Amino acid sequence: MNKQIIIRQTQVGQWFGYAGGAGLMAALVGFIAQSGLTEFVGIALTIGLIGLFFWAALAPADFRAFVSGRQMRYSTGAVFGTLLLLGVVALTYVILQRAVITLDMTEGQRFSLSTETRAVLNRVVYPMRITGFYSPRLLSQREIDDQFFRLYEVETDGLITREYIDPEQQPALAQRYSVTFDGEIFLSYVNADGSTDFSTTTRVPISESQERDMTGAIARQLISGTLTVYFERSHGERDPLDSTQEGMSGINGGIQESGLITQPFDLQQVASVGGDLPTDASAFILARPLTDFSDSEIAVIDRYLKRGGALFIMSDVLFNADAFLRQDGKFNQFLWNNYGLRALDAAIVDPVSSQDTPLDIVSAAVYTDSAIAARLDSGDTPTLFRLARAVEISSNPPANTPNGRIVLSSPQSYGETNLKQLGETNTYAFDPEDIQGPLTSVAWAYNQKTGAKILLVGDSDFATNGQVLTGGNSILFTDGVAWLTGYGDQINYAPQAYRTGLPLMFVTGQTLDAIAFVTVILMPGLVLLTGFIVWTRRIRA
Amino acid sequence: MNGTWVVFRREVGQYFASPIAYLIAAALLLVTGLYFNADLTFSVGTKPAEPALIPLLLSFAMVFCAPLLTMRLLAEERREGTLELLLTAPVSDGAIVLGKFLSAWFYYTILLALTFIYQIILVSITQPDMGHTMAAYIGIWLYGGATLAVGILFSAITENQIVAAFLSIALLFILWMGELIGQIITNLELAEVVRQLTLIGHFTSSFAVGLIRAEDIAYYAGITALMLFIAIRVVESNRWR
Amino acid sequence: MIDVQNLSKTYGTFAAVDRLSFKAEAGEVVGLLGPNGAGKTTTMRMLTGFMPPSAGSARIAGYDILNDSLEVRRRVGYLPERVPVYPDMTVQGYIQFWANLRGVRDARRQTERVLESVHLLERRKTLIRNLSKGMRQRLGLAQALVHDPPVVILDEPTIGIDPQQVIEVRQSVRALGEKHTVLFSTHILSEAEQVCDRVIIINHGRILAQGTPATLRQQLQPGDHLYVQISGASSAAGQRLLAEIEGVQQVQPQGIGFHVRAAVRANLRGDIAQRVVQAGYQLEELRPVAMTLEDIFLDLLGREEGA
Ligand SMILES: Nc1ncnc2c1ncn2[C@@H]1O[C@H](COP(=O)(O)OP(=O)(O)OP(=O)(O)O)[C@@H](O)[C@H]1O
Ligand SMILES: [Mg+2]
Repeated sequence: MNKQIIIRQTQVGQWFGYAGGAGLMAALVGFIAQSGLTEFVGIALTIGLIGLFFWAALAPADFRAFVSGRQMRYSTGAVFGTLLLLGVVALTYVILQRAVITLDMTEGQRFSLSTETRAVLNRVVYPMRITGFYSPRLLSQREIDDQFFRLYEVETDGLITREYIDPEQQPALAQRYSVTFDGEIFLSYVNADGSTDFSTTTRVPISESQERDMTGAIARQLISGTLTVYFERSHGERDPLDSTQEGMSGINGGIQESGLITQPFDLQQVASVGGDLPTDASAFILARPLTDFSDSEIAVIDRYLKRGGALFIMSDVLFNADAFLRQDGKFNQFLWNNYGLRALDAAIVDPVSSQDTPLDIVSAAVYTDSAIAARLDSGDTPTLFRLARAVEISSNPPANTPNGRIVLSSPQSYGETNLKQLGETNTYAFDPEDIQGPLTSVAWAYNQKTGAKILLVGDSDFATNGQVLTGGNSILFTDGVAWLTGYGDQINYAPQAYRTGLPLMFVTGQTLDAIAFVTVILMPGLVLLTGFIVWTRRIRA
Repeated sequence: MNGTWVVFRREVGQYFASPIAYLIAAALLLVTGLYFNADLTFSVGTKPAEPALIPLLLSFAMVFCAPLLTMRLLAEERREGTLELLLTAPVSDGAIVLGKFLSAWFYYTILLALTFIYQIILVSITQPDMGHTMAAYIGIWLYGGATLAVGILFSAITENQIVAAFLSIALLFILWMGELIGQIITNLELAEVVRQLTLIGHFTSSFAVGLIRAEDIAYYAGITALMLFIAIRVVESNRWR
Repeated sequence: MIDVQNLSKTYGTFAAVDRLSFKAEAGEVVGLLGPNGAGKTTTMRMLTGFMPPSAGSARIAGYDILNDSLEVRRRVGYLPERVPVYPDMTVQGYIQFWANLRGVRDARRQTERVLESVHLLERRKTLIRNLSKGMRQRLGLAQALVHDPPVVILDEPTIGIDPQQVIEVRQSVRALGEKHTVLFSTHILSEAEQVCDRVIIINHGRILAQGTPATLRQQLQPGDHLYVQISGASSAAGQRLLAEIEGVQQVQPQGIGFHVRAAVRANLRGDIAQRVVQAGYQLEELRPVAMTLEDIFLDLLGREEGA
């Protein structure tokens, strides 16, 4: 009887001991996690001490043996050893994380910067910031992207910094950037005080090639504001502010978004006072003037071209007498004499390569050897012109002025020269005066001495809001502008520098079946068979 | 060191002498094979081959496979009483645990090597990104080592294999959940810290995308070392408890 | 070789081994004798370094079992009570594994030698799961001897095997004594008597007696034990008659005769014969009874329980 009570007392004491230990552990964990003597830590500590006290009081022998014994020595040794190892591991981890030691194993060097990108980054002199909006759900995507973005920070010695914002936690900020989806990325210049310069914020597109997206955005940011494009406005041209189907607000906005400045220009007025195009004019766009140019106006253009100007001419089939760029007009003559380019008074009729009517011509062939047409693959991105004018390049151009065609119609097409009938009755037919196809509708010329560039397109509808998104029309326009302004050279974008992605797989159904057989039946079967053989041999042993 | 080698050799022999090991290997090949074929049929003509396909699958599969591969290593010895002989042999407890761990890792490495068949097939039908694949395989190899170490720890703690397997699956699952943390935790900073602690957080956004980072290697090596250290202390505690 | 000082083990508040002290010299075969639960296994586990003592210390070959555990383990061959085996290994693989683990140099040859000595050589390719209980027992013995340790500790090596094999095992243990120090536990007295140079009898974790079987018998057998058979007298009369003889302490019927216990004195047998004949009976048989260790053991246990 007496004996039983003693045992129970010892046991109670031990239970107090366990409770005390648990309390102390909780206190330690709380102290580390909350880094301070919080209320929770205090309570846990009190429980721990009370527990230990009762343990010592109720089971003194047990307590003494524990404190002075082997158990105590070894268990504290084990615990401290574990903590020490944990500390070493954590320290190594943090040091290595800071050191950013990475090895990019991907074939396309997806996590390394190309020399082209390095060249662009070399030109960064003012601090920029990559701002990514990721919710916690996209944490792993963010980490993958960050692997890549931090290369930019390292390469520019911190001139380009990164910041990540949770759009759900900071909706106001997200609104400020006009975030539309989770995982969106922006690029901005940073003010002297470290704040974001929202006037420079641009959206970084997200496509297959992350490097092209980011480097392109940086390059655009770098040249933004350095290139100005002038739209001629005094001859009834299409309006770059007009947002109807016939207007050109779309391309105007596109140019601006690329970081270029657009300005209107009154050629008639400037010519009348003997003025010139502004010196900052990177390109001069003639978006289908209705009437032809006078001598003084041609002189303005001539002077501009002679100092290395760039001219984008969009010329349509017009039916008025003094139509712009009449075949026998002075401006057409000027172009032919000086640059080996001219427009013909002929509307291209293409019965083969066309859309709704033979007048809605689709590019039948594209010379992709020029920078303008590099991305114009006629198969994927044909251009669509409505009532286009044939143009011609001289096979014997002036010295140092190479030229070339870009878009051609089909061999079955012809150039209808009876524009009068076409304009009045909208009828056309092939007759002897007409020009046999294939006909050129887009051509270029480049004076190697002066640097003058001309892009002549026998259509203007392709760049209107209604048509610009059709087929390769927008590519023709933007790459045309890029070539004229030298924008392409500036962003130093060489497409071959970026990985084109892994090739797609093309496998016949038969091969697939064979693969399925090998991987799903043969391999596991062989392994099973080996196991079976091993097993039977064991059984017999 | 000799002890480690002897224990390692015995355990490896044990793996390859028992039909169970072949059964597991066949099952793994079947699952990965089905997965591979499903992905292949889906990808043909629409997208390139996913370079980290099998490692990504394994990163989940190891949550369940690692405990199965390791549960018997110490628990069985304890239950069958052979631990009594092992612990009275003149080898350190570390050598025993290490030898057993290495044997499990070795067996796992063989399993991994078997799945290379899919890469060979891919090479013969298309141009896969082998560098990326290698990175993913190196990652899943280290990842597997860490999960096996967790399994060993629980095998050391209990003599019941089922309990050992269950406990390690539970812990591995928690460590694996990193990917889902973001959905649970709304605080971005906290979510990020938690993610850094998880097994998966050091795999999906680095090795699995073809990137080898020193910090991830340190993480897996650290987890492995820590788990083994604790397991050794647990075995050792027999001598002083 | 083995020097045990006040070795104790308590599980919670229960003392499984209680201040055990004994010594075993080199080349001695020492038997640890005790009933189930006496603490034999616990003692051996402490000596082999599998579990730590709660108090006290022990040295084997001069090394402390706690502080120089590794050195101790190098010098000890141990056969646990359960004979733990890896059922999926072959006989040879198993022995060779332990040989390798214990750093035996010529592991292969040693394995064959030790298998030969336990008559398992021809079964060396057999899976252990297919061995009989007796074979496993011998396999365990081979395992304990493969590294030729100076000290061999065997925990009940003869339980569960048939008498033929028991004799073989006893012989091999006996033979071990030539080169090794053997500590050997059993609860069968005759076994200890046959095999051991010295016997230590323990119960409840404490030593009851120790010494060679002969001295134990002497020490624990005070006085003479005789068997007397008388014809012509009723049982009660015979008993009364014998009890009256000087020096006789106890008379118990045993079969058709009596077991007489008496103080040692001269001419006891003569007196008995004389008294029987005087009373008119016939003395059919009178012979000394040699007490076995078994009797002593039971005697001792009985005394302890009574106390
Ligand atoms: N792990 C343990 N926890 C609690 N009590 C134990 C433990 N191991 C042994 N005991 C107890 O210690 C006592 C001695 O056990 P031990 O195994 O040493 O006896 P033994 O002499 O070997 O008996 P047997 O002849 O049956 O093998 C027994 O009462 C047993 O119940
Ligand atoms: Mg026992």
